[in-house]
Amino acid sequence: MPNPLHSNASEAQEHEPRVVAFLCKWCSSAGSDLAGVSRIQYSANATPITIPCTGSVSPMYILAAFNKGADGVLVSGCHPGDCHYMEGNYLARRKLYLVQQLLRFIGLEADRFRMSWVSAAEGAKFAEIVDEFVGDLRALGPQNRLKARH
Amino acid sequence: MVNVDELRSLAAELLEQGQVRSLIGYRRGTAGVLAEPCTIAAPGEAETLVWDPTCLNNLALFLVEERKQQAAASAPDKRPVGVVAKGCDSRAVSVLLQENYFKREDVFILGVSCEGTGVIDPRKLSARLKGRWPTRVEFAGEDGFKVSAGGDETLVPARELLADRCLECREASPRLNDVLFGEVVTERGFDEPFRAAKAAQEATEDARWATWERHFDRCVRCFACRAVCPMCYCPECVVDSTTFVNTPGTSAEEKATRIRWCERSANVSESAVYHLTRAIHLAGRCIDCGECERVCPVNIPLRLLNTKLEMEAFQQFEYEVGRDFERPSLLSSFRDEDPNSFIR
Amino acid sequence: MEKILFKEKLRQWVDTLNDYEVLAPAFADSVWDYARVEAETEIDLSHTNTVNPPKQFAFPQREVFFRFERVDGVPRLTPTVPDPKPTLVLGVRPCDGRGMPCNDTVFSKEYRDPYYWARREKLTLVGLACNEPYAPNCFCQSVGGSPHSTEGLDVLMTDLVDRFHVRGITEKGLEVIERGGDAFDRVKDDDAAEVEKVHAAARSRPQRPVAEMDAVAKAIREQFDSPLWEEMARHCIGCGICTYLCPTCHCFDMNDEVTGPNAGTGERVRTWDNCQFPEFTMHTSGHNPRGDLAARLRQRVAHKFLYFVENHATRQCTGCGRCISGCPVGIDIVAVVDRVTRS
Repeated sequence: MPNPLHSNASEAQEHEPRVVAFLCKWCSSAGSDLAGVSRIQYSANATPITIPCTGSVSPMYILAAFNKGADGVLVSGCHPGDCHYMEGNYLARRKLYLVQQLLRFIGLEADRFRMSWVSAAEGAKFAEIVDEFVGDLRALGPQNRLKARH
Repeated sequence: MVNVDELRSLAAELLEQGQVRSLIGYRRGTAGVLAEPCTIAAPGEAETLVWDPTCLNNLALFLVEERKQQAAASAPDKRPVGVVAKGCDSRAVSVLLQENYFKREDVFILGVSCEGTGVIDPRKLSARLKGRWPTRVEFAGEDGFKVSAGGDETLVPARELLADRCLECREASPRLNDVLFGEVVTERGFDEPFRAAKAAQEATEDARWATWERHFDRCVRCFACRAVCPMCYCPECVVDSTTFVNTPGTSAEEKATRIRWCERSANVSESAVYHLTRAIHLAGRCIDCGECERVCPVNIPLRLLNTKLEMEAFQQFEYEVGRDFERPSLLSSFRDEDPNSFIR
Repeated sequence: MEKILFKEKLRQWVDTLNDYEVLAPAFADSVWDYARVEAETEIDLSHTNTVNPPKQFAFPQREVFFRFERVDGVPRLTPTVPDPKPTLVLGVRPCDGRGMPCNDTVFSKEYRDPYYWARREKLTLVGLACNEPYAPNCFCQSVGGSPHSTEGLDVLMTDLVDRFHVRGITEKGLEVIERGGDAFDRVKDDDAAEVEKVHAAARSRPQRPVAEMDAVAKAIREQFDSPLWEEMARHCIGCGICTYLCPTCHCFDMNDEVTGPNAGTGERVRTWDNCQFPEFTMHTSGHNPRGDLAARLRQRVAHKFLYFVENHATRQCTGCGRCISGCPVGIDIVAVVDRVTRS
């Protein structure tokens, strides 16, 4: 089903954005499952990767995703205070804030890297976040600043 | 004023009495005007120690080397190592202590103050002399530096020769020390802290990318920036991943699909992975000694990547690197008030 | 062939070579390095020396040897031997020129490397003699070179203030001079004398001495196990600047870089490698015959002054001084060789 945010479906050869989504197992991954089970229709452009906790996300995963050609990278986890491992998401918040600042500093288009808090009950929110992301990425076009060049 | 004779006497005394097993300091180099690092073990060698604006090296790096050698030694010498440390160098020692790389009693710090100015940037000096070779550079108090070249001696204002990181330095004397030579010096009023990083982020997004794309393209991957950084002490760097276990049963497919964070090729995308990884691994650990930028053969402004993150750490998390080695590290701690609005 | 090129006609000459890729020294980011000459570039030959030597034009940092892919399940290899445009490099110092024959030997003696030679044959090096030593660490004369040596160069220019004296040395050199046509003027009677005067003045400037070739080679062999090496390498950080900036260092690594989603698509790539990196001699068992920096420093110095002499009857060091100026901790190859020879 066409993305409701997509303005002109007749444009052929349009680049389909690829999003890599690191989802924490306890909240966001469950949230994305809820979106599926509720049959919410949303863009299928995000490849989900389940991780134990956003605190376990190494900045290298994000760099590797962009190096391999991801147009956008999403890291999503439990709301502050709800982390299954107590503090993981607080640590992630600090670390990934710095990653975002650095990527912007060197000129990667702002907001290609995003973070969200999505709980296991927020299936609708997850779908919205992905839809919004994909819509923004369509406008930006393919990511070729950090993509591997040969 | 740092009394170099007193520094030499103390060094000789420490070695004579066996209070330190060796002492890392600066001596005159054999080529060019810059001082070079030296490790002395005999009291008589203390005579060769120098202190002048060409003492650029961060000697904390050699503490890391010493520690690695001791760890591998069969009968390690438990006495501390003496080290001559400028303000920035002492902050490097502080970070290493914070990370338990060694213990406080393993190092004896002979702190030296930067005489109201700091150390020079050799590229600025050589550009200024337009081909003439400097033979000596000396401190001249707040007026700047006395530069001797081709028989002439000139007084050069500090701002024209000071290393960029000295212009932004917030504390030009080593707070962490066992002995302090010279006066306690804080900000010197040349530039505001993080001036260069602030200026760099004013450019448009496209301009910033054009700049960094050019720098990543010029990088030859000599890894000097990593080699000279005291904080890059990992025995195996993540971008070098070489030691995978191969057995006779390892298939070609498995070998080809092993994680390689970045390829050997020195092109924009791979060099970007290297530099960005290194910058993130230094977040909350970089004390801006500026050595990475100084040693880069093609003069990539690496300081900008690191000071940008230190500026964020300071502004957003109230974290100052190397201030207090008993405080938990930047990335192993958090506050409830940490920025949250960037998260959807 | 000898000609005179007035400085204001340099651009005119370069413009006649419009089918060439032309590179010249440029000052950017506070360093001199080679940059492509475009239509609007102002060619500036007032450089000291470039940070990177000209070896990169025949032996680039990254060379793709072949591409591999799977077509209907069958592996297919596509060789990618380069076919570059003719390339002209201006402002090459004689020390760098002398380095090229060393590289030529390595890449042809037992096996003629097609990738190197595809580029080398199309490469024309236009040298610029040094009127004085440009860095405090030059020592070309101490290692058998000179500020106006023509070895390895196709053309040698000498700066005579308002004009260059230009001498064609090889076929390639003569060809680019011919192409220049009336950008060049005839040599006048006193030009030759002036060139000789400039060259003699350059030669007379003092340089750091290096002992004679055979004495150094012998001393290094005798001092192989000396504790001196550890002392001299004490502060080496294994960064690799000395090797990468050296006009004659040529070690390389080969890697297969997978470029597609499956392991069957990619490129075989040759990249520069560095004997100062700890993994350079690392075996897959984990054993490393040159695990310490002393061994690696000794290796580099021995390669320049002993092994190359034994294998090819010539020193591999041309005295450009980059390794000395570039070393972050002041390791000085002249001081090292001096100490070893005097012991």
